[in-house]
Amino acid sequence: MVENRPFLSFLTHLVLIVGVVIVVFPVYLAFVASTHGNGDFLSGLVPLLPGPNLIENYRLMLTEGISTAGAPPLWIMLGNSLVIAIIIAVGKIAISLLSAYAIVFFKFPFRLLAFWIIFITLMLPVEVRIIPTFKVVADLGLLNSYVGLTLPLIASATATFLFRQFFLTIPDELMEAARVDGAGPLKFFRDILLPLSRTNIAALFVILFIYGWVQYLWPLLVTTDSRYYTVVMGIKRLAATADGEPQWHLVMAAVMLAMLPPVLVVIFMQRLFVKGLVETEK
Amino acid sequence: MATINLVDLKKNYGSVPAVKGINLSVKDGELIVLVGPSGCGKSTLLRMVAGLESVTSGRIEIAGRDVVKAEPAERDIAMVFQNYALYPHMTVRQNLEYGLKNRGTPREEIDRRVKEAADILEIGPMLDRKPRQLSGGQRQRVAMGRAIVREPAAFLFDEPLSNLDAKLRVQMRVEIRKLQRRLKTTSLYVTHDQLEAMTLADRLVVMNNGLVEQLGTPTEVYDRPATLFVAGFIGSPPMNLLSLESIAGAPGFEGLNLPDGTDVIGIRPDQLVLDQPTGQNLALAASVELLEPIGGESHLHVRLTGSNQAVILSVPGRPDIAEGAAVTLYARPADLHPFNRESGRRTDTAVANP
Ligand SMILES: Nc1ncnc2c1ncn2[C@@H]1O[C@H](COP(=O)(O)OP(=O)(O)OP(=O)(O)O)[C@@H](O)[C@H]1O
Ligand SMILES: [Mg+2]
Repeated sequence: MVENRPFLSFLTHLVLIVGVVIVVFPVYLAFVASTHGNGDFLSGLVPLLPGPNLIENYRLMLTEGISTAGAPPLWIMLGNSLVIAIIIAVGKIAISLLSAYAIVFFKFPFRLLAFWIIFITLMLPVEVRIIPTFKVVADLGLLNSYVGLTLPLIASATATFLFRQFFLTIPDELMEAARVDGAGPLKFFRDILLPLSRTNIAALFVILFIYGWVQYLWPLLVTTDSRYYTVVMGIKRLAATADGEPQWHLVMAAVMLAMLPPVLVVIFMQRLFVKGLVETEK
Repeated sequence: MATINLVDLKKNYGSVPAVKGINLSVKDGELIVLVGPSGCGKSTLLRMVAGLESVTSGRIEIAGRDVVKAEPAERDIAMVFQNYALYPHMTVRQNLEYGLKNRGTPREEIDRRVKEAADILEIGPMLDRKPRQLSGGQRQRVAMGRAIVREPAAFLFDEPLSNLDAKLRVQMRVEIRKLQRRLKTTSLYVTHDQLEAMTLADRLVVMNNGLVEQLGTPTEVYDRPATLFVAGFIGSPPMNLLSLESIAGAPGFEGLNLPDGTDVIGIRPDQLVLDQPTGQNLALAASVELLEPIGGESHLHVRLTGSNQAVILSVPGRPDIAEGAAVTLYARPADLHPFNRESGRRTDTAVANP
C-alpha cells in the first residue's frame, strides 16, 4: 500500500485538502460571522475575515441571550444540553451493559426472544414513536423536566447489540475461571467484564454523548419552559425571531458555542481510544 | 489434600449421553490422567468435577463431601484451562491474588502464598506484567500459579499443555510432575497425548465413548490392555491386531494354547523381531512395503504373506532391507495379547504376562 510516487502523494494530499476545506469552510464562516457586529450582514456580502466584536458577542450570548426571541442566556441552554447528553449517554451505557450481560451470560427461558425484541426496536427510532411517546410523557406529567427529556431516549438497542457482540468474543473459560476463583455474577461483571469493556464504553460514550447533544425534535416537543431549552433547539428559536432580520452575528456565536462540547469530548476521549487500541486487552 | 470419588456419574446433553456412568476413586495425593480420543467425554467429566457442568445423575465426593450441588468456588478445587484463561486486564500478581481476595484471605497470607508460588514457578520477575506481555510457556506457569496459591484439595487440568510447542511441552510436563510430587495435591489431568498420559500418571483412565475402558497404572495399561480399544489407542505405533485366521497356519501356531473365544491377536510393534529368538515362537512370513527410519529406530511396514494384513514393526537402528524383500517375523507367545472381537475384551484375564 505504501508507494513512493510523487504524483500519487500529490493527488492524495490534494484530495485530503479539498475534503478538509469543504468541511471546515462553513465552520470558519460561522466563526467569522460571530465576530462581527450587528448590521455587517445586511449588505448581503459575507465578510471573510474576523471582525472586532468577538468578545462582546460571546459575552452577550452567554450571559443574556436574545430576550426578544424568547431565548434564555446561552449558559443555561448549554448546561441543559450537557446534563441531558450525559444522562442519556451514561443511562444508555448502563442499561445496555446490563441487558447485554444478561443476554450473553445467563441462560433463562426466552433469552433469544428477549434479544430479538430488543433488536427489533432498532427499527423504531424516536421520530417513529414520537406521538405515543409524547402522550405517555405528557400523561405522566414529565413535560418540562430532565426526566421527560431523557428517559424516552435512554433505551438503546444499538448499544445493547454492540456490547452483546463484544461479550460474545470473551472466552467462556474466563467466566469459568472467575467462578472457580469465587467470583459471583456481580463480581465477575465488576472485576472482569467492566474493565475489559473500557474501550468500548469510551467509544460508545462519545457517540452517545453527541447523539444526546444534537437531539432536536424531542426537546422541541416536550419543553415549553425556557429553563429547559437545550442549545440545539434554542438556536432554532434564535434564528426565527418574529420581528425582522435574525441577528446572525449572535446566532453564529451560539452555534460556535454549541459545537464546542462535542469537539471537546471527542478530543478528550480520543486519548482513551488510542490507549485502548495500543494496549489491546485480549 | 483429599480423595475424589465419582459414583456412577452420568451426563446427558439433551438426549445425547456424553458421560455414561463413571466410577472412579482417586486416592489422596494421586495424579490420575484421563486419556481418550476426541469427544469421549474427558472434558465433560472434569468440568462436572469442577462444578462448571451440571450432573445428570450420580455422585461426586471431594474429601468425603458430596459436592454435586456445590458451586465451583465451594468445592475447594483449582482448575488449569487449556487456553489458560488468565484475566487479561490484570497483572500476573493480580491474577494470582484474585481468588484469594474473593475468599477474604488476609493480606500477609496472600503475599506469602504469591511469593511462594512465584518462587516455585520462577515467575517472580514477571509479577507486574500483564498476561499479553508473556510467552505461551510463561502464561502456562501463571495459570499453574493461580491454581497453586489457592492450596486447594485438588487440581484439575484440562489439556494444559496442548497450546505449547513440542519442546516446551516436554519441559512443562516434567515440571508439572515434579510440582505435583512436591505438593502432593490430588489431581485429575485430561489429555489426549498418550506420551503425556504415560509419563505423568500414577494411574491412567482410558476413556472411550463416555465410559472407562481401563483403569490402571501406565505399565499395566501398556502391558495388558484390557480391551481392543485400549490396545489400539495406547502405544505408538499402535499394536498390530491380527485376525486369528491370518496367522492360523503359521509355524509355531499349534503350540500357542490360546484361551477360548480368542479371535484377534495383538502384538506390539517392538515385540515382533526379525531374528529368530530362542525358545518357542510364532513365525510369520511377510514382504516389506516400506522402511521408515525415525532416528534411533525404524518402522518397518510389512504385509503378511497369504492374508495380506498390514503389520508394523519397530526395529532398532536402520536395518538394511530393500522394499519388496521377503522377511519372517517372530513373536514370543508371552508377547501375544488375545482378544475377542465380539466383546472387545481380553480373553486371558488370569496372570500378567511375564
Ligand atoms: N455443551 C454441549 N452441548 C452438547 N453436547 C456437548 C456439549 N459439550 C460437549 N458435548 C458433547 O459431549 C461429548 C464429550 O465432549 P467432551 O468435550 O467431554 O470431549 P473431550 O473428550 O474433552 O474431547 P477433546 O479431546 O476433543 O477435548 C462430545 O460428543 C461432545 O460433542
Ligand atoms: Mg476436551
